[in-house]
Amino acid sequence: MSDNKTSSASDVHSSSKHSLSEEHVLENDVEQTAEQATDQKTHFGFKQVEKEKKATLVANVFDSVAAKYDVMNDLMSMGVHRLWKRFTIDCSGVRAGNKVLDIAGGTGDLTAKFSRLVGPTGRVTLADINLSMLQVGRDKLRDRGLVSNIDYVQADAEALPFPDNHFDVVTMAFGLRNVTEKQNALNSIYRVLKPGGRLLVLEFSKPTSEQLSKLYDMYSFHLLPKMGQLVANDAESYQYLAESIRMHPDQDTLKGMFEEAGFEQCDYQNLTGGIVALHRGYKF
Amino acid sequence: MPASALFAATLETSINKLLALDSDSKSRLSALDGSRMTAFLSPIPFGITLVFSDKVDVLIEHGDFEEVKSQLGAKDCCIKTSLDTLPALKETSQLTRLIQQKALYLEGELNVAQQVSSLFKDLDIDVEEIIALRTNDVFAHQSMKTVKAFHEKSMSMFANMGDVFGNAIVEEKKLAAHKLAVMHFSDEVSALRDSTERLDARLRDLEERLK
Repeated sequence: MSDNKTSSASDVHSSSKHSLSEEHVLENDVEQTAEQATDQKTHFGFKQVEKEKKATLVANVFDSVAAKYDVMNDLMSMGVHRLWKRFTIDCSGVRAGNKVLDIAGGTGDLTAKFSRLVGPTGRVTLADINLSMLQVGRDKLRDRGLVSNIDYVQADAEALPFPDNHFDVVTMAFGLRNVTEKQNALNSIYRVLKPGGRLLVLEFSKPTSEQLSKLYDMYSFHLLPKMGQLVANDAESYQYLAESIRMHPDQDTLKGMFEEAGFEQCDYQNLTGGIVALHRGYKF
Repeated sequence: MPASALFAATLETSINKLLALDSDSKSRLSALDGSRMTAFLSPIPFGITLVFSDKVDVLIEHGDFEEVKSQLGAKDCCIKTSLDTLPALKETSQLTRLIQQKALYLEGELNVAQQVSSLFKDLDIDVEEIIALRTNDVFAHQSMKTVKAFHEKSMSMFANMGDVFGNAIVEEKKLAAHKLAVMHFSDEVSALRDSTERLDARLRDLEERLK
């Protein structure tokens, strides 16, 4: 009796042990699946989407805004984006004969200036993942007579189709936040930069003052989509712009990512109270 | 907002607009194609680089003179001076004196600096022609005539006002000394200085003798 009891107790114990371990395995499975699902997801603005889908969604945004991109940039920033880009060029140290890569170069604002600075002995490559943007940029630069030293390449920043140690300067203005795996992009840029070369990333960032941050939030979540609707007939793309800015790593996090990619002497400069930051890193 | 970038943008637009108004500037600009000149002008806290191609690009140099000097190319030039000294640079005969006085530091290709100077010095802008292109000949001619007359009149008015104020201060209110009185005072001061120097020399001579 007692044996039975013991056996039945042991059975119960063993069966409960068995069911517990099963539960544990099940929990682990669920956690792993959840982790895998999270790993396979990324943000698109405030939404979570499959990683493979982000590039297409971003492409749709830029296909939609390409034609009005420059007008909207001027309107949204009240022309200040030109000063941010000019500051980036000032910090690039580009000389005659240099090879420059302008990733996510869009409509070619930086490329136009670089083209004159590197002169006939240098070369500027305007790369963008989005064909519509690249076409708008190419037409704009050709209209300005800038043809002799510019190459146009449709390329993904995460897997740049260029040889190792090829460029003297790489710039990326307002492009990094749209890249699915930012670290992969930085690693890829590091690979194509020559030793002694520098990377400049101009990107929206976190405002340094609380008051400015509130004002900026009001502007970007309420006014910006309305402006997008009025001018480009597309409120959603500009809603995405505001959301993607908030999801982008802050100044110090991005600096850490630069260092992780192997860049040295990394620093950043806040522009317009941190609304935008220019990150700089060297490959030695 | 980077103020230096705003400054560079304004300067670049102004330079290119000005050059576009003089058709002869194209040939002077093409002589500079591919060269660059950096100027550090105190008290401006940063260097200004002019890069020449079919237009002029203005960049802001955040490094110092020594840093730029070490990176100069074959067609580059770098100067360091002050805004006060800038007008003196118009005379090329003054350059050596200014360098000796350490009022001007010049590195790189001197030709580039001279060509840049002539690019701006030889600007010949026919304002009347520009107005005529946008309006008509009569309006342009009348406008220029009016502006010239106004300029001449205001200049003579300022000169008259200067005389009136000068007389009032010197003759009527006696707030300042007359020009002749100032000259007389200066002569007396010079004579006193000469006497003092003579006395000083005599004292030194006496000291030598007593030793």
